[in-house]
Amino acid sequence: MISTLQKIIRPVWAVRGLHKSAVEVLKHPAPEDTVTASFGKFISEVKPQHLSPMVLHRSKRMVLDSIGVGLIGSTTDVFELALQHCQHMYAPDDISSVYGRRGTRLSPTLAAFVNGVATHSMDFDDTWHPATHPSGAVLPAVLALSDMMPANSKPSGLDFLLAFNVGIEIQGRLMRFSNEAHNIPKRFHPPSVVGTMGSAAACARLLSLDHSQCSHALAIAASLSGAPMANAATQAKPLHIGNASRLGLEAALLASRGLEASPLVLDAVAGVAGFSAFYEDYVPQPIKSPSDDGHRFLLEEQDMGFKRFPAHLGMHWVADAAASVHKILVGFGPGTVHPDQVQDILLRVPKSKYINRPFPDSEHEARHSFQFNACSALLDGEVTVQSFTPAAIMRPDLLALLSRVRVEHPQDNPANFNRMYGEVQVSLVGGDILKGRCDTFYGHWRNPLTNESLRKKFRNNAGEVLPSEKVENLVDVVEELDRLGDCRDLLSQLQ
Amino acid sequence: MLRKGITESFGAAIHALNSTQLTDGVIKRSKRMMLDTLGVGLLGTRTVVFNKALKYSQLFMSEERSSVWGKSDITLPPYYAAFVNGIAVHSMDFDDTWHPATHPSGAVLPALLALAETLPSQTSGLDLLLAFNVGIEVQGRLMRFSKEAYNIPERFHPPSVVGVMGSAAASAKLLGLSPAQCSHALAIAASSAGAPLANAATQTKPLHIGNAARRGLEAAQLAKMGLEGNPDILDLGRGFGVYYTDYSPSAMADSTSSDFKWILEDQDVAFKRIPAHLGMHWVVDAALAARAKLEDTAGNFDLSQIRHVTLRVPPSKYVDCPLPASEHQARHSFQFNACSALLDNKVTVSSFSEAQINRQALKELLSKVKVETPKGNQPSFDKMYCEVELQTYQGKSYVARCDTFYGHWRKPLSQEDLVEKFSVHASSVLCTEGVEGVIDVIGNIERVKECSVLGSYLRMTSNQHEQLYSSRNL
Repeated sequence: MISTLQKIIRPVWAVRGLHKSAVEVLKHPAPEDTVTASFGKFISEVKPQHLSPMVLHRSKRMVLDSIGVGLIGSTTDVFELALQHCQHMYAPDDISSVYGRRGTRLSPTLAAFVNGVATHSMDFDDTWHPATHPSGAVLPAVLALSDMMPANSKPSGLDFLLAFNVGIEIQGRLMRFSNEAHNIPKRFHPPSVVGTMGSAAACARLLSLDHSQCSHALAIAASLSGAPMANAATQAKPLHIGNASRLGLEAALLASRGLEASPLVLDAVAGVAGFSAFYEDYVPQPIKSPSDDGHRFLLEEQDMGFKRFPAHLGMHWVADAAASVHKILVGFGPGTVHPDQVQDILLRVPKSKYINRPFPDSEHEARHSFQFNACSALLDGEVTVQSFTPAAIMRPDLLALLSRVRVEHPQDNPANFNRMYGEVQVSLVGGDILKGRCDTFYGHWRNPLTNESLRKKFRNNAGEVLPSEKVENLVDVVEELDRLGDCRDLLSQLQ
Repeated sequence: MLRKGITESFGAAIHALNSTQLTDGVIKRSKRMMLDTLGVGLLGTRTVVFNKALKYSQLFMSEERSSVWGKSDITLPPYYAAFVNGIAVHSMDFDDTWHPATHPSGAVLPALLALAETLPSQTSGLDLLLAFNVGIEVQGRLMRFSKEAYNIPERFHPPSVVGVMGSAAASAKLLGLSPAQCSHALAIAASSAGAPLANAATQTKPLHIGNAARRGLEAAQLAKMGLEGNPDILDLGRGFGVYYTDYSPSAMADSTSSDFKWILEDQDVAFKRIPAHLGMHWVVDAALAARAKLEDTAGNFDLSQIRHVTLRVPPSKYVDCPLPASEHQARHSFQFNACSALLDNKVTVSSFSEAQINRQALKELLSKVKVETPKGNQPSFDKMYCEVELQTYQGKSYVARCDTFYGHWRKPLSQEDLVEKFSVHASSVLCTEGVEGVIDVIGNIERVKECSVLGSYLRMTSNQHEQLYSSRNL
């Protein structure tokens, strides 16, 4: 009834200077009718039984992959730097585990920070559509928070998994508020925008906050969101995920202490930007109550992409396309590809400035370079973790190939992870032209990694830092996560 | 991409600027800013939002500790000290405002003081003053990169955008980072910028300043450890430019020249007389003048005579709040501030208490208010005006207009009034020795050998019972 009344009144407000008295109050929707309130309600009311078997299955795969890339990420320089920073600035605090470092624990938010940095340090973590890296922003915070909870009331595996899924779901819902979010980003790095919100939502769920506190957690998190794309492809990029994780946790903790923020943060209010500040177009929708039959988790409809090698998602298309050319070349003669054979390499890829780098200078840049990944795959038949070592980046053969690359942006190749393709066309010295094209790389949500492949990736990653016993325990524990009575069995295997 | 070297020039400037380049004018103005910031910060340590943040921050332990203003026996890790002290400064919206619009000092001073307490070698007052001015200057420069910044904001809350950059610059200066590290500090800080305006007029707004202070400090610390970001962060539209719809950066030249011009030299800040959004100051001065006119003519001021109150203000949604329900909303309401002024003939710190906000007489008066946004009244702190018109039941009309309130940069607070503002507020927290000590140290900051003495004055509380919050909550 109030909404109908609003519809009548609204056009009249267009003429400024009208007598606005107590009727003014009706201009604001009743608190329960806002988009923000619907999100707060959802987070506080959702229960384990709302998770379908498909969502449980898919999210467990995400948890496993995320832990694995986090573990291998703990071997990187940027992780070391972040860890040292935390240890120098703060005293040891025996609470939350750090990935892969036996005996090292930090305050919960700091553990979330460094583990988040580890997860994104090699750009090896999962990618969703619309584009973001959802798990790295959420899992470290949920783990850290679980470590923080008293020993006699740790969450069950199912509670843990529920909180994780809430964090993913909220991110998915927020990204659907704008068209801008559906394309490869240009302004704000999506994990820094929706990741913080997802982490706040997940932690609010785990803390069992009431619906009002859940809303405020989101609003507080909004004031901690947002980092520019220019820092992608630099050493600072992993901090976007680390910060998303810790600041979302922080927002939930502050909300639990009663801190309040805007009750309209997700709604579109003309002249005062809330979460809409991060988008050029923004049309928010309320989220349905979980007890209504109407709600389905987005993960049910839209699966996750997992990476086969540690680089920006776009690289996987050109790598697969180039690998198929490599196969043909190797079929012709000796087992390796020589730059001397190659006259010219043409890449047909979508237009996206931050992944178009002809001569990457660092491992971070190499992970964000169509040219580099195409040439690596052309030379070696595949791209792996080892393709980004300093020695590999500086190989003369690779540099020779790089100097022969041209890039085109066909009209029909949009900068969108759901619709793009990668084409590699190699002109040989002899005159032959070989072409490879990839529409859907193996690991994309349309062509998901099998459980075998996913576990193989996990074992390779986790095996870099953990003894094989712990590696296998983790595989088992995550598989059984929804049946686990106490998530300590998971928490104890991470270092 | 054509490297314009803008970020590089900023890094070079932060590194190279030295105290001989500080002019008398800049020193005088920045000392006033520091004093005012400490005063409102001290007062702010008695607010609800400060105490929530303090309790939260006490979860963290560290070996290095920094002072919490107004607390004799609580210290925090420097990062969290910067956080809570920054929150205190902005907790009542009582801190300084610049043009283009931001609250520059609250993002910088808490970070610097927290940092200075942890540095192995003594930080002189002059070092502090220089770093402070570097933090202010960088903010001023960045805001001049877009037209959007010149108007009252609509999207991002400016302190969250430029404040964190200023804090990073100032901290980098105090840490003595190399030019390249200074650039990277800015780049890392850029990834911590940007909070939406919707959280203004809520309890979370003060965190925008607290976060700017702490995250800028952290950015500088990470840069010192070798973390790198995008070395062209200021040059790129997809860098710092993401926070603006129009973005036209330019380099910071002449940073080694003796002719270097500080923005603060040409553009002063405004200090507030009322703990409320800057826009409220115009409407309050206009309301008081209109009230005086009515009182002069009618002989006395009788509320019941008033039929309508019309406010003519610039368009700005987030300070147009007809019936505020909280102190935060009240501080961001043209209507509330006009009516408080009419009712009480003044607006002070206590005007925003829950009891005062919920007064029946006030609510009745509020119901008689209408707001107009005349064409030509621009939403810019440099150009706006406010007009208040009172219409009585007898059919009489009394109008008053305020173009420049007392405290605005065009009509600055006298030194006496500024010190008085500080004293009154600091005295509610510190003992006399502390109050006078701060005034003395800041007054002579450029000659002070070791600025840690400031920290000890800021902890000289008058009331032993503020230990209420000193126990650690796990």
